[in-house]
Amino acid sequence: MRNVLSIALNVVKDASRRKIFYVVFLFGLVVLAVSPLLPSFELGATAAFLKDISISLTSLFGVVLAVILAVTQIPGEIEKRTIYNILSKPVGRAQYLLGKYLGILVSLFGIMFVMSIEILILLGAKASMFSPVILQGVFAVFLEAAIISAFCLMLTTVTSIPVTAFAAILFYFLCHIKTGFLHQKLVTGTTGIVKVLAGGVYYAIPNLENFNISQQVAYGGGASATYMLRITGYAILFAAVFIVIGYAAFRRKDL
Amino acid sequence: MEDLAVELDSIKKTYRIAGTRKKKTAVADLSLSVPGGEIFGLLGPNGAGKTTTLKILLGLVYADSGSGTLLGRPLGDRSAHKSLGFLPEQPYFYTFLTAEKGLALYGKFFGMDKAELTKRSKYLLDLVGLAHDSHLTLDKFSKGMLQRFGIAQALLNDPDLVILDEPSSGLDPVGQKEVRDILLHVRDEGKTIFLSSHQLSEVENICNSVCIVSAGRSVTEGELADLLKVEGLTRIVLSGEVDTATGPLGFALNARAADGVTRFEVESGDTYRALEAARGMGLDLVSVEPYHRSLEDLFLETIKETAS
Repeated sequence: MRNVLSIALNVVKDASRRKIFYVVFLFGLVVLAVSPLLPSFELGATAAFLKDISISLTSLFGVVLAVILAVTQIPGEIEKRTIYNILSKPVGRAQYLLGKYLGILVSLFGIMFVMSIEILILLGAKASMFSPVILQGVFAVFLEAAIISAFCLMLTTVTSIPVTAFAAILFYFLCHIKTGFLHQKLVTGTTGIVKVLAGGVYYAIPNLENFNISQQVAYGGGASATYMLRITGYAILFAAVFIVIGYAAFRRKDL
Repeated sequence: MEDLAVELDSIKKTYRIAGTRKKKTAVADLSLSVPGGEIFGLLGPNGAGKTTTLKILLGLVYADSGSGTLLGRPLGDRSAHKSLGFLPEQPYFYTFLTAEKGLALYGKFFGMDKAELTKRSKYLLDLVGLAHDSHLTLDKFSKGMLQRFGIAQALLNDPDLVILDEPSSGLDPVGQKEVRDILLHVRDEGKTIFLSSHQLSEVENICNSVCIVSAGRSVTEGELADLLKVEGLTRIVLSGEVDTATGPLGFALNARAADGVTRFEVESGDTYRALEAARGMGLDLVSVEPYHRSLEDLFLETIKETAS
């Protein structure tokens, strides 16, 4: 466990010195810059819209940061050969992979925590509203980013950074449209093969729409605790599957 | 039976050439034994399979076939790595860390506690001459300083076996001498050093035994003193560059003329005959001495024989 934590901490240190963190502050600045353009903050509907757009922007930034952080970890270390000096020590490849993933999660969590604070301050300043339910929305975004980063980490054990980044974008869109297009094919597919293919993909990939609770956060009282627990378990399951597959590929990989 | 720090038996490794179905053999059939408490040199031309061999030892690359042990444990057993130190060929470290923090990171992997780590880091940074630069991030280090840091981290866990890939790379002559002294000091403490190097003079100065590899095979292996010893030959150096292939010096062995002198070896019984012949040709004698091959001679002869 000590090895996993040491590697994770090193990932966080590395991420914090990158310019990625500036993106977070840029995010805040962008939101603050556009908010005066909104018509009226007295109306509850506008505050809800502000919450909605904040969660959506957090989701966008979260996904981008998750991909950037995850795709560069292992290929970057192999390219710079810093991995040699870690894996020649009594560090197992599973520990290395888990440490990398944990470091990515902690970095993402830190970034999203700062984003949440920015949104809360924005809502307080512009709509005189303290809305802790926003944390629920950001947490759902974090869970989504956790799955995407696990997917990217898995792919980087076998392929290059550009291929992984491209695959991650495809994965993101596929996992968001699956409830629509794939489900429709699954139910209404005319041939057996279409149904089998649609069904295979439908159940093999996560439904990222489950993590989109911006409507409940913005226009209602948020999602129920049961729902939050369910999507947390869902995220853990898929992330674990991706990390295990990644380890299977990485375990005997020649470096 | 003698304790072996490293043992490789019939190791083979091929890589697939990217974009093709063809395979390239990196290590064809390598067997070697490294006795404990010695400095062992792995030599070979570029592409001979040295780096792949080191990677196999370190568990970075997996052999296709063959077997081996590292400190008495089978290859791949991570527990052996607790007593292993490694210096990569180029100084590949996290350059955003300071020397102190870098050592702290690596020390954690060996389960060292903070007090032990602080004490050991201080000692090693002082040993490699980086005591005053320990607070600098590694991206501010010169290549030579990074190499010194690399040696410090390789010795961090007080290893029983240290594997070094080109330990003097990037160092000036003073630095090379210091590294040599450190390695001898480590050897005197009873540790085993396994080094891969292109610097034959360095290997000749410090190694007890060597293995020369070519095309992924061990072509010469043994104690250095035995390998360099040549019984019954005398080396003669004459002033001037002359062709000895024909004429009175036609019996000279391994003659080569360069830099204003001609060097050759003769059977010891032919020494006076050669000197007479040289005088008859009007050539001045520069030196005459019992012949001992240099490691460079051995290396070049071995590689030449293998190629032919």
